Amino acid sequence: MHELSLACEILEQVIATATAHGASEVKHVTLQMGRLTHTNPEQLSFCFKAIADDSIAKDADFVVEMMPPSLECECGYTGTVDEKQIRESSELKSELLAYVAAMKCPICGEQARITGGRELIIKSIEIETENEN
Amino acid sequence: MLMHVINMGHDVYKANDKLAEKNRKKLDKHQVFSINVMGAIGSGKTTLIEEAIQHLKEKYKIAVIAGDVIAEMDASRFRKLGVPTIPLNTGKECHLDAKLVEKALDEIDLENTDLLIIENVGNLICPVDFKLGEHLRVVIVSVTEGDDIILKHPMIFKTAELAIINKVDIAHAVDVNAEKMRDDILSLNPDVPVILTSKHDWESLETWISFIELGLLKTQSN
Repeated sequence: MHELSLACEILEQVIATATAHGASEVKHVTLQMGRLTHTNPEQLSFCFKAIADDSIAKDADFVVEMMPPSLECECGYTGTVDEKQIRESSELKSELLAYVAAMKCPICGEQARITGGRELIIKSIEIETENEN
Repeated sequence: MLMHVINMGHDVYKANDKLAEKNRKKLDKHQVFSINVMGAIGSGKTTLIEEAIQHLKEKYKIAVIAGDVIAEMDASRFRKLGVPTIPLNTGKECHLDAKLVEKALDEIDLENTDLLIIENVGNLICPVDFKLGEHLRVVIVSVTEGDDIILKHPMIFKTAELAIINKVDIAHAVDVNAEKMRDDILSLNPDVPVILTSKHDWESLETWISFIELGLLKTQSN
């Protein structure tokens, strides 16, 4: 359970940026989360709301956009794991496992290198300011 | 009232990676070889580290960072072997991160250290996302965890640089096939070295210890 410490870090960054831009309130926080991180978006959202309680981000909408893993293979292939194909496969038990299992190069069949899917990015925030500044 | 959208693009995990890189540079500067030992509770991390310390401490200067929810218990086991040990209490946290290790490094005499062993919190999930600055990522799994444990926790095995299957002497008693575990690890990470160990089989421990020594020799020849 490390969502709380991640939420603390996110809140700290959000407040610092919002304050630097003269915000009176943070309206939206948009995150991008790679599917290969061991982070639960619902728990993260819950933790963020809990700790933002007495801050200018207390009423912010917290949106998490999930990002698919991307791969690179020695044969030269680069690409993104096809989420639709994985969702449709009934043999693959867990979502994360499904992604890892799919991590063979679709061209040559060798194990591909993971180049994306492990991010947790604060993409953007929407803020309200009292005055024009 | 005015609304603004501010693009941030701040990656929380990358921020940890950057700090890990800083730790790594600090270790390199002092020619310290460091290993991050990960694995579930009860997989045998502390025991295998003790074995390594016992057989390397005459030849090399060793320091240990013992991470745990209550780190003092393991730390006292390492101190008994006469090596400087920094306990890192994570409280309720499930993993070590680069920031905690950065603080611990301040308390270690790196100039007089050849090998830094970092024992992570017992967990197969959370430590995966947090690099510490280590040179070698080790995952220890024991046969008592069942032979489906590897495919249930693919990322830690996919990103490991050395995998150890421990307690193989009791595999039969717990109805587990250690070879299947090895095959599962290799299916996720075909190039990772896999060592099968048992506390009661010195040869297997020697393989683990030689692996550490190989890293030490490489670091010292740089």
